[in-house]
Amino acid sequence: MNIIEKIKTNKLIDDQTEIQKICLHKLQSSPLPNPKSELWRLSNKSKFSNFLDYSINEKDSKFDMPYPKNSHSTIRLIIGENFKIKLTEKNYSIEQLSEDELNKYIKEQISCFDQNENWSDLLNLSLSCAKNILGLKINGSKIPPIEIFSHASSNSLNAKTLVIFLEKNCEIKLLQVNLGKENSSLSQSTFFCLEENSSLNHGVVSYGENRSNLLNSLNVIQQKNSEYNLGSLHFKFNYARFEISIKQSVGNAKTNIKGMQITKSDEQISTYTKIDFNGPNGFLDQINKSLADDKSHAIFEGSIIVPKSAQKTDASQLSRNLLLSNLAQIDTKPQLEIIADDVKCKHGATISQLNEEELFYMRTRGITLAEASKLQLSSYFQEIISFIPVSKDRWDLLDTVLNQN
Amino acid sequence: MKESDPLLEVENLFASTNNLPILKGVSLTVYPGEIHAIMGRNGCGKSTFSKIIAGHPSYNITNGEIKFLGENINSSEPEERAQSGIFLGFQYPIEIPGVSNLEFLRVSTNARRKFLNKEELDTFDFEELVKEKLELVKMDHAFLSRSVNQGFSGGEKKRNEILQMALLEPKIAILDETDSGLDIDALRIVASGIKKISNGQTGIILITHYQRLLDEIEPNYVHVMADGQIIKTGGSDLALELEKKGYEWTDNFLKETN
Repeated sequence: MNIIEKIKTNKLIDDQTEIQKICLHKLQSSPLPNPKSELWRLSNKSKFSNFLDYSINEKDSKFDMPYPKNSHSTIRLIIGENFKIKLTEKNYSIEQLSEDELNKYIKEQISCFDQNENWSDLLNLSLSCAKNILGLKINGSKIPPIEIFSHASSNSLNAKTLVIFLEKNCEIKLLQVNLGKENSSLSQSTFFCLEENSSLNHGVVSYGENRSNLLNSLNVIQQKNSEYNLGSLHFKFNYARFEISIKQSVGNAKTNIKGMQITKSDEQISTYTKIDFNGPNGFLDQINKSLADDKSHAIFEGSIIVPKSAQKTDASQLSRNLLLSNLAQIDTKPQLEIIADDVKCKHGATISQLNEEELFYMRTRGITLAEASKLQLSSYFQEIISFIPVSKDRWDLLDTVLNQN
Repeated sequence: MKESDPLLEVENLFASTNNLPILKGVSLTVYPGEIHAIMGRNGCGKSTFSKIIAGHPSYNITNGEIKFLGENINSSEPEERAQSGIFLGFQYPIEIPGVSNLEFLRVSTNARRKFLNKEELDTFDFEELVKEKLELVKMDHAFLSRSVNQGFSGGEKKRNEILQMALLEPKIAILDETDSGLDIDALRIVASGIKKISNGQTGIILITHYQRLLDEIEPNYVHVMADGQIIKTGGSDLALELEKKGYEWTDNFLKETN
């Protein structure tokens, strides 16, 4: 593990920023996560080790956009390639956070980080150079949809960081696309701060190429009356982790999450979510789907934390999983931690295979087994894909996914 | 002597599921234009018989032969049988959440049309065709935009089955308890749909418990099934006799023959 050796000896980066120094310091005594902890025990050790084998690359090679920008009204940004962003229109403004604002916010976050629980963010912030940190402050209404791309380069490890402040009453649709390259590792950490009455429809689509790895972490803080909707899809990674942490800091906020991961061959993709209700009247509706084929492994672990202050919380978490092969593996663990006594919380998990009777019914109408399976899978995916903003009108994501399967 | 070749020939068919024998030597031949009714009490093997003809993968044929248009189809896939003109109307039509009924009908219809060397229909042309067929079963256009059978009442599901039969124009249709769960009006609509779809070239096998469907569609032959065998065959009068006598006599019949 090339990277870990360099962290230990403090030879990772020459000109360290203040943030990098803090994070490296936090990691130096114990540079790896605890493999016995709940968050890491199922992580495939050799794949994780492979993630850390590549050397750091701060310079991005040019990459091919997966689809053309066909709408002038969409704002497209590429982390690492945007230097000065300042868009001021009649109804809205999008501007870059100043270095001071960015440092102050990140330092605040780091101060609460736990070495094991926030290991992915600590690693990301240790590696992300100033050029690869994009900080934005968004204000106003009628904001055009935004697309933000992160990508890795072959034979290297790239770290990208995104910080977005959504100011009061602001409403946006934002699609984040994480692209892995052949033999590459991408570390992507995202931080959102949603002020009062703001609303974010967020999509995360991550897909790789041969032997791509991804550590994708998402941290959201919601103020009261804010609404956060997340539709996510991860596929085609040798190893990928999606860690979601959402905090409704004073309650009275809404969160909807619909996520999906698809694994094939010997891939491992996992999703860990932690939803923290820190005040009353919080709402959560979450569904996570996994689809595992061949000898692959999909993991979902979700926790909902409802302390005493979070009375009248209404939370639901469902994990639905489809096994397409006898050798594939699915681990799922939705869990609730409730202290408050006046709440409505439910959770559940199902693991099944393609429904034989549905398949037979379709086949008796002349539809081949392959087509019938495709129709069944498309209905399985549809619920998640239709929740991903920005992409659906122009990007036939469903076809992409189905053709991969 | 019949003038044309048989559509379906089932000869001494034995079948089982999970090593449990269900069919114990069924023979049945259907010629074009014929309507056969299979009656019998619950669990006698009627539905299994229909599923085996359609190629359900959970059943094994242990002996005997199914021939469709002269070809042995014992090992054909369900979709091959459907494309070549075998239609099974389900007793409990399956709900497929998330799959649009319109798209499902279009894909099915095109699979059959492809087999018949007919041009496949795009969405617009298919809409025209389906509109015409909807009339046959008095179904509202709104059903097309729903998921397959999801949220349909029992009667609506059965009408959707007949709509599929109308679109697929099968050579032989096996309708498994199509009359169950239908009120009198719905039964008439379904029966009239079946009569309009079938012609002198189509064979129909009606699986039913009751006379009421046979009042609407008069069969040429009535077969009584018990314990996986056809124990008696007669004309439409046999159904009336069953209505009067019930199925108890079939138990005695089996005891005597065993």
